[in-house]
Amino acid sequence: MVPTNSQGIFRFTLVQRLFHAFLLVSFLIQAATGLGRMTMETGWGRGVLSIFGGYDASRDVHIFVGRLMLVVLLIHIIYLMTKVDWKHLPKSLWSQDSLVPRPADVRQFFQHLGWMLGMRKYPEFDRWGYWEKFDYWAVFWGMVVIGGTGLLMTYPFWSTGFMPGWGLNVAFWVHRIEAILAIAHVFIIHFFIAHLRRSSFPMDRAMFSGNAGLSLTRHERSAWVERLEADGGMNALMVPQDAGIVKTVHFVVGCTAVVIGLYLLIGAAISVFQITW
Amino acid sequence: MIPEEIMRQREQKHFRQVLLPLLLVGTFGASFLNVHAQEEVASAIRRYKDREASTGYYEAYEVRPQRSMPLVQIPGVQRGLFPYSPTSAQTRIRTRLTDSHLGIKFYNGRRCVDCHPEQARDIHTIRANLTCRQCHGGEPIASNEHYFSPMNPIRRHAYICAKCHPGASASYAAYIIHEPNPALAGTLKSFPVLAWAFWIMVAIAVGTFVLFLPHTLLWGIREIFMKKHGEAGNHGTDK
Repeated sequence: MVPTNSQGIFRFTLVQRLFHAFLLVSFLIQAATGLGRMTMETGWGRGVLSIFGGYDASRDVHIFVGRLMLVVLLIHIIYLMTKVDWKHLPKSLWSQDSLVPRPADVRQFFQHLGWMLGMRKYPEFDRWGYWEKFDYWAVFWGMVVIGGTGLLMTYPFWSTGFMPGWGLNVAFWVHRIEAILAIAHVFIIHFFIAHLRRSSFPMDRAMFSGNAGLSLTRHERSAWVERLEADGGMNALMVPQDAGIVKTVHFVVGCTAVVIGLYLLIGAAISVFQITW
Repeated sequence: MIPEEIMRQREQKHFRQVLLPLLLVGTFGASFLNVHAQEEVASAIRRYKDREASTGYYEAYEVRPQRSMPLVQIPGVQRGLFPYSPTSAQTRIRTRLTDSHLGIKFYNGRRCVDCHPEQARDIHTIRANLTCRQCHGGEPIASNEHYFSPMNPIRRHAYICAKCHPGASASYAAYIIHEPNPALAGTLKSFPVLAWAFWIMVAIAVGTFVLFLPHTLLWGIREIFMKKHGEAGNHGTDK
């Protein structure tokens, strides 16, 4: 059977999509409660906090969701362990289907930059682009730094048992700056790439539906499609694209997340000039 | 019978029938009441715990002065027992005074933030709405390093922190309430770990955006000017 451009190519399993959906919801809650508490001196900050029941209740929500995120991170690590091809280590970690960064990613980054400047050909990306690998591992880095410092502050009697109390001053600022970095990165860069680029506007639904349009994938990830066609695995990954109500739901959920994210980003950006640092 | 004897008999009768029963009932009833004054006299440790909402660490840390008197000293400089007059308005170092504001002119008409504006710019003051006196106490406010001050690090966790954070330890009380602004140059000397942590995190954040903001912007602009394709961007053929 010859694949047609109206079909989609399977990219994400249900479990992977559920991980992303959890991260989407929990990240928005953490961003809202965290930014709200940071800007509680302003009307905007108090307004955001009122959605969660006020200043103190927002802290409880923030801590509860934070703990949940760490638990899900552990579950995700266990999930990763089940997906590793242990028999062919370490070669399997460097395969084209792996998210582990490779030297080729650095080369493709510069080639991509060259294409943006009109100087080079568009790189032949495989299954994962370098920006997707960066986004994936950035979550690990963020969860360790923000989650670690968050735990220190959530359990101060425990943490000051092995470090002096002024360590909490340091933990607070590391937590704050890393959170601002994560929020700004997701709400500006990730949202732009997934929603506002011409190729993906108004929304790249692959992470919601699980599949990407074949035509776009053939151009964006030509090395992947060629590899699949060469080894005969293409037909197994061809799926019909979502339509109708499912497609609408994906748009509504995705675009709602973008609107909430931009509201938080702009509101916080205005409010930071009115708070005591 | 003479009136005086009648009066005395009435008093005796009144005492037996009214006052004595009342006294007995009152004594019996009072035994059920929690009278702190008696406990204070009976047990110094109990009195201690009445004021302490902590875990009991306090007793291990506290050292009562024996025959020594609280001395006013400059660290590293010994100028006799009382190098500064306790009534002097020219005291230069106030970290160990019984009354840290001793001798300040027009003190009664001033507010704490008149002289300590930076000390009101912290989370405890701004977010928890704590007032200065909730931690530093009433007049006279002893210096933090003074031997008997509740703010002295040997008992701060029990007398101050544990009011709102029951279970606070001495290590916990090492949290810097009035932390300096980590972005200021002076913080590199006063709280170097905080300053370094702050600037390293800022460098990571700035580095990320210096790399990815122009990258993302260029990508967006480039796609606008791509050649039209059937469904999406024609990445591969326009160059």
